[in-house]
Order: sequence, then structure tokens, then C-alpha cells
Amino acid sequence: MRQTLADLMDAAAGRADYADVRHVSSAAESISTRNGRVDLVHRGSEEGFGVRVRIGGGWGFAAARGSEAAAAQSALERAISVAQAQPHVPGAAPLTPEAPARGSYSTALVTDPFDVSLEDKLALLLAADAGMRGDPRVTLTMAQFSAFREHKVFASTDGALCDQRTVECGGGIVATATSEDDAQVRSYPGSHREHVAQAGWEHFAGLGIVEQAPRVGEEAAALLSAPQCPAGRTTLVLDGEQVALQVHESVGHALELDRVLGREASYAGTSFVSVPDLGSLRYGSEQMNVTADATCPGGLGTFGWDDEGVAGHAFPLVGEGVLRGFLSSREAAAEIGLERSGGCMRANGFSRQPIIRMTNVNLAPGDAGSLEDLIADTDEGLYMETNRSWSIDNRRLHFQFATEAAWEIRNGERGRLLRNPSYAGITPEFWGRLDAVCSDSEWRLWGLLNCGKGEPGQTMHVSHGAAPARFGDVQVGVA
Amino acid sequence: MSSLELAQRALAAAGGGQGILATVVSERSLMLRYARNRPTQSTAIDDLTVEIAVLRGGRVGTASTNSTDADSLARCARDAEDTAEAMARTAGEDGFPGFPGPRPVPDCHTFDLATASLDPGLGGSALADVFELAGRRGVEAHGTWTVGDVETALASSEGAALSERATDAFMKVVCIAPDGRSGYATAADRSVSQIRPGELAESAAAKATMAGEPAALEPGEYPVVLEPYAVNELMGQLAWHTFNGLAYVEDRSAFSGRLGSLVAAPAINLSDSPRYPRTFQRGFDAEGVPKAPLPLIQDGVAKNVVHDTASGALAGTGSTGHANAPGGTPYGPIATNLVLVGGGARDAAELCAPIERGIYVTRLWYVNAVRPKETLLTGVTRDGTFLIEDGEITRPLVDMRFTDSALGLLERTQALTSTPVLTSDGEFYGRRFASGAVCPALRAASMRFTG
Repeated sequence: MRQTLADLMDAAAGRADYADVRHVSSAAESISTRNGRVDLVHRGSEEGFGVRVRIGGGWGFAAARGSEAAAAQSALERAISVAQAQPHVPGAAPLTPEAPARGSYSTALVTDPFDVSLEDKLALLLAADAGMRGDPRVTLTMAQFSAFREHKVFASTDGALCDQRTVECGGGIVATATSEDDAQVRSYPGSHREHVAQAGWEHFAGLGIVEQAPRVGEEAAALLSAPQCPAGRTTLVLDGEQVALQVHESVGHALELDRVLGREASYAGTSFVSVPDLGSLRYGSEQMNVTADATCPGGLGTFGWDDEGVAGHAFPLVGEGVLRGFLSSREAAAEIGLERSGGCMRANGFSRQPIIRMTNVNLAPGDAGSLEDLIADTDEGLYMETNRSWSIDNRRLHFQFATEAAWEIRNGERGRLLRNPSYAGITPEFWGRLDAVCSDSEWRLWGLLNCGKGEPGQTMHVSHGAAPARFGDVQVGVA
Repeated sequence: MSSLELAQRALAAAGGGQGILATVVSERSLMLRYARNRPTQSTAIDDLTVEIAVLRGGRVGTASTNSTDADSLARCARDAEDTAEAMARTAGEDGFPGFPGPRPVPDCHTFDLATASLDPGLGGSALADVFELAGRRGVEAHGTWTVGDVETALASSEGAALSERATDAFMKVVCIAPDGRSGYATAADRSVSQIRPGELAESAAAKATMAGEPAALEPGEYPVVLEPYAVNELMGQLAWHTFNGLAYVEDRSAFSGRLGSLVAAPAINLSDSPRYPRTFQRGFDAEGVPKAPLPLIQDGVAKNVVHDTASGALAGTGSTGHANAPGGTPYGPIATNLVLVGGGARDAAELCAPIERGIYVTRLWYVNAVRPKETLLTGVTRDGTFLIEDGEITRPLVDMRFTDSALGLLERTQALTSTPVLTSDGEFYGRRFASGAVCPALRAASMRFTG
């Protein structure tokens, strides 16, 4: 395959200003249970070429299935014809220079999840599913396992030739309790039924879904009769998962340079941040330190090279509350005069072209100790846990989130369980009120599988490192 | 080889016996994107998915591949069979009733030859038209132009042998004025000849350049006029959370226990109508069940929810032809051909006429269900929000967040325009599947804005 791609790039070199090609071979497994029944077992695989060319500043991308050289050649021809059919792009900047990507990368793992028997997986899921059904008000229980494997070979007319093998797996459980007019949900370890990492079976086996199942079911049932979350302004403590989503929506997306430059205005949107803000915009309090890090062990945004051959690396996005960087590509970085791309070009499979994406966008831990320490340090407020819904405007400025559960905090102690919690804010105001982040012992990577962007749509796997954090004077109870 | 022949090969690869369904979805598509009056990305896809579903002991195992050689098809069939047998072995037998046998499928208008040519020259010309208009109007144009040709074929051990080839075309134009205000227009059809790039650009530019400084309104409840794009968003959320037969039987739907009850204004008549002339017509679902019109809300009364074979078995009603995948999905069946019947208003301006002070909404964005059983949604307005004063649109508004119930909005609906249009968001995640709701604009007595 390496030779096929190298030959194709030789052929492309005289016909395009720049070209790259990926051959991607992938497999996925999805297993879920529902109310003690096996609901779904699906195994899928696909392979194909994605060829991208740049001619006179315009891009063409074509995808063709298979592994034969003829398919790659056909994709190259189609990419060139599409690029040439579009209106001319005047004054396109050159791509930032990059040393040719050479070598191999692979996920560090103990047990390949695809080597574990279906029987063993189902036994674990069914045990967790059963463990949530202790209360008759719990009317729906689900357990989920997912695994992904990908082998990607990349070459470019810049002389890159590298290959990467990644494995991801994870899962989770969710219980829904219902009454005549209400439905309440609890999940573990995070929302959306799964917490996935770039790791082997040991990651999923270590989540403890069977041990946590009774608590999850009990809390779902308890929420039906819990008091409604009050409306008003108060101090808010968020669990690590909700902090991760807050980082994702109001920091990660806002700092994608394609959005900042207006390239995503027709779909994902733009950003409240502009290029001249770099180095001066106060994004948040001095407690706020955010890094894009494509080297974190276990991260879904960890790789050897991105999908245009830039080596994975770490760089600051926000330092002590001040804007320090953007997520970028070679083209976008060049356009604003950066010396090097952030290495954030990623594609969803062979049939989608790379676009600017998050890697692992992490909020650094602080020194507030454990979650219990943070609550003990809070006189009055709310503690919210596990995302339930999310929405933010197209400039990534005005957001509203709901979580599955909340607890009152009074005199440093966790009090009553509350249902239907929600909060809202404006991005820099909210982050400006960040006054404490829990310590390294509470910090972990949270995986998201459903980050949607691009046309045609792409769902990207990304991770966010986060620990529980506290924000002052937040509007709560908005929904 | 045709898609149906490939499906039959996949079926043969699964060996003999009953309870086997092979599906092939082949996609050829082209999408051009542009931003700031220049092309930015283009994606040409030539790919297919072969999916084999095997029923053993009342359980369905599925596997898929995009390779079509004999070894790959055999491996895919073996995977599907192994998973079904392991499911039955581990968890005992279950009650999936089986895949349907051959049934007559009504003729649908799904295909247009010119669209299937996927001509990048047509797309380049469409972009040039939009750039020219945008330049003249002093705005920057952003958007997509896309065409697709998707063939779905299905062969089962019960004797079903179906195929349907469908084209689709979609164009989106977002115009942004120098002061940052924006306007939006889209068109969708099975034929690319029905897409008018210049008209879309004109409509979007007019919204972006409407005179007046944007005003900011305080949160609160306001009368609203929602354009079809905004109504389409509400319809999509109801399809996921309310008309979904699995959510219904699991007591998670707003319709659970309420079929036969008044849930909307008497003017609301909403159905899933797979052969309505202006929709992306479909003859059968992912399990080969023929599609037929199904009333969901009639004169404001909740009438039905949609089912695939699995949820239909749980409900005791059978499938209504709404499977998204063989054997169903954890998310449940989805209505993909919603049609909201229009009312008597000539146009959106007539809807505005009785409003003393209200809000005109072009589209809603990042809408998410806060509490699905209450159909409580939140999202923001985008690309054309205006103040209505004394019956007329008077000035632009700063975009606002709403938090309100979708069914509540339909309860408060007072009037609808007479000509519903096919509205699509043109999002194509995964294998291409063109869909959209046919919606009119509507006026509701109030909508709750929260920021």
C-alpha cells in the first residue's frame, strides 16, 4: 500500500500544487442491551482512498472504495476535475512548511477489544443492565460497548509517507425512570451512553459499570420525586464531564481557525474570537489554562500525524485566562502568518476530507483538591453532574446546558438532590468567573464520539481533559 | 453489476435458511462548499455499503462492509450469523418477528438523470452565479451546492427483491453583510434543474442587508412568525422524540398515553407522506416494508406514531414502514417524510399582519431537547431575525435563545401559509440519505425567549 500511495503522489506532483492521499481501512463493533435484552450487535468494516489536490488555491477531494491502485488513480482524476471546475481562487496563501511525515504510530494497549469474545462482552453488559433495574420506576435500562480500529497510510507530494494503527473502545450505562408526565435519566460514566478512550479492552473493563449500576438506577428513580432546580444566580460546581463539554463547546469550537476566518459560516458557524485577539483577549480568569495536546496517552485526539502530515504536538490555547493559540491547518495557519500548523486536520474515514478539528483540548488541573474538598470550600450553591442537553449559538458565545442531576450545596456540604438542573451564560463572562479547578487527582480525559462538523457531515472522536471546577454567580434554572 | 444483483450475491453468501436480509446502498455524490465568495472545499464520493442481517432465535445480528468480492461478502455474512447466534446463546431467544416477504411497493418519483450526472461544471456555474450576485449586493456568500445519486437495493431469504434509485439536489446560501448581519436561503429537490442559485442568493442577501440597526429584545414571551426553515427544525425534533414508536412504547414520548388527545391547535394536520409530490419520495424502508401515508396529528389530535418491525412488535401494531436499519436501531424508528398541511395565509407577510409587537424567525440553530417527554427544546435564532411592529417587519433583531415546547408552539399556532415547501438542512452524515419536511410558515401566539 505504501508503494501505491507513493506512486500516486508521484503522478499527482506535476498536476497539482499540492496533493495528499490516505488509504484508510477501519472496523467497528457496537453492542447494546436494553431492558435485559440484547438490543444490537453490529460489526462493520470499510476501506478506501481519499485523495485531495490543491490547484491554484482551490481544493478538490475525491473518495473511492477499495485497495487497488486503479481506485486511487480514479479518485485522483476525479479530485482534479472537481478542483478545476470551480471558480478560480485568487491570491491563495502557500501552505505552512512541514517536515515530511515518516514512520509509524500505534495505540498502546494490553488487550485488543476485537479479540475479546462477544459472549464476554454481553455478559458484562447484561450484568450492568440488570443491576440498574432494582426500582420499578426504572422503565428503561441500557448498556453500551463500542470498539473502533483503524489502519491509515498517508502520503503527500511533500514527501510524507507514514502509517498509523489506532484502537479505541469504551461504553457505559444509562437508566431512565418514568412517571405519567416525566422521564428522568442517569448515566455512568458519562452522558450519551459511553466513555471511550484510545485504549484496549482494559479501559472498558476498568470502568466498573456493574458496580455503579445500582446507584445509577436508584438516582434515576429518585429524580422523579426530587425538587425542581431553583432559578436564580448562584455559585456553580460542575463535575469533570460537564466541564469537558463546556470546554468543547465554548473553547474548542470557538478557537477553530476555519470558524474564526469565516470558512464555516454556512454550517458550524463563526466565532466571537478574531485573529487580532491573539495574545490579548481575556478569555477567562487566571485559573483558566487550556492546551491542545495531540500526544495525551489514551486521548481520542492523539495521533502520530494529522491528516495532512503534521506531527502531533501540544500547544497552549489559553494561558492564565488570555488567548494564546488557535486550532489550525497548514492553509489557515499560513493565512494568518503562523510559522507552523497546529496539526488539527482530521477526517472521518476515507470518504471525507480533512477539516480543522479538536485534538485533545484540555483544561489544566488546578489546586482545589478533590471534589469533596471543593464542595467543602463552597458556602452555598449547586453541584451539577452529567450532561443532558447542550446548545450554543453560532458564534460560540451564548450557551445553555442541562445536566442529569444536581445537588444543593449548603455550608460546604452536599444537600438535596434536584431534578431538571440547567445553567446558561456568555462564554468569556462565564470563564471569567472560574475561581477553582480540582487537582490532578480528579483530572481525567473524557471522550466524545459525536462531534459534528463539516459538509458532508463528519462525526469526530475527540477527548478533553478536565477536573471538577467552580464558577461564581451563574444563572441557573433556566429551563 | 446492479445494486440489486449485489444484494442477491450477498444474500447467497449468507448460505441458505430463513431470516436473512441483504441490503446494498450505493452512493455517488458531489458537494461543493464556498465561503466569502470563493470555493473552499469539494467532496466527490463513490462508495457503497453492503449490510447483511441474520435472524436467529428471535435476535438480529448485523454486519457491513464496503468490499464486494466473494471473500468479503462471505466474511460479512459469517460475522452477522455469528453475532446473531452468540446473542441467542448468551441471552436466550427473543421476539423479533422476522423480515417481511415480497410485498408490492408503490411507484415513486425518485430519479432525475441530469442530477445523476453529478456534473461539477453545473456546481461551478451555480457558485459563480451566487458570487456575482453577492458581489453586486455588497455581501459575502457562504454555503454548499450538492447533488447525489443513491441506489438502495434489498434481497431477503423470504423472497423480497427491491431496489430504488433516488437523486437529490440541495443548495444553501448564507449571505453576510459587512456589519455581520446574515441571511439564509436553501432549496432542495430531486432535480438539480429546480435549484435557482441566483434567487437563493437574492433572498439571502435581502435579509442580510435589511435597513436598520439590530435591536435587542428582553427575554420573554412574544408572538412569532416562523419561516418554513424554523418549522422544519421543530418537525425534526418531534420526529426523533415524539413520533418515534420506540420512545412511545418506552413511555418516553409526549404521545405516550396520549394518542387520541388534543395536543395541538385544530389547524395542525401533520403526516408522514412518503409519496407527497414535493418530498423526497420513498417506496420502502430499510427492512423492505412498503411506505404508506400515516397521519400523526389530525385536526390537532395525536393519531399515530411510527414503527419499525422491532418497535411495532413491542407495541403489538406491526411496522408502519419506518425502519432506519434492518432489525431497528437503539434510537428507534424515524419519520422521514413529514408534511405539515398549510393554512390560508398567502405568505409570511400576511402572517405578520395581526402582530402588534413580535419576532420574525428565519431559522433555528443548535436545537436540542432539554426534556424530550415534554418536547421542551432550546436553541437560538440565526441568519435573519426581525422585529415585527404593527403588522410589519421593521428592523433586524439580535439573535435570541428560545426555550419552549415544540408541541406547545403547535398548540399556540394561529395560522399557516397556504403553500408548504420542502425544507431540508442538507446535512449528510454517514451514507447519504436525503430527507426534509414539507412545511409552511406559521404564526404562533407566543414563543418563550430566554436570552
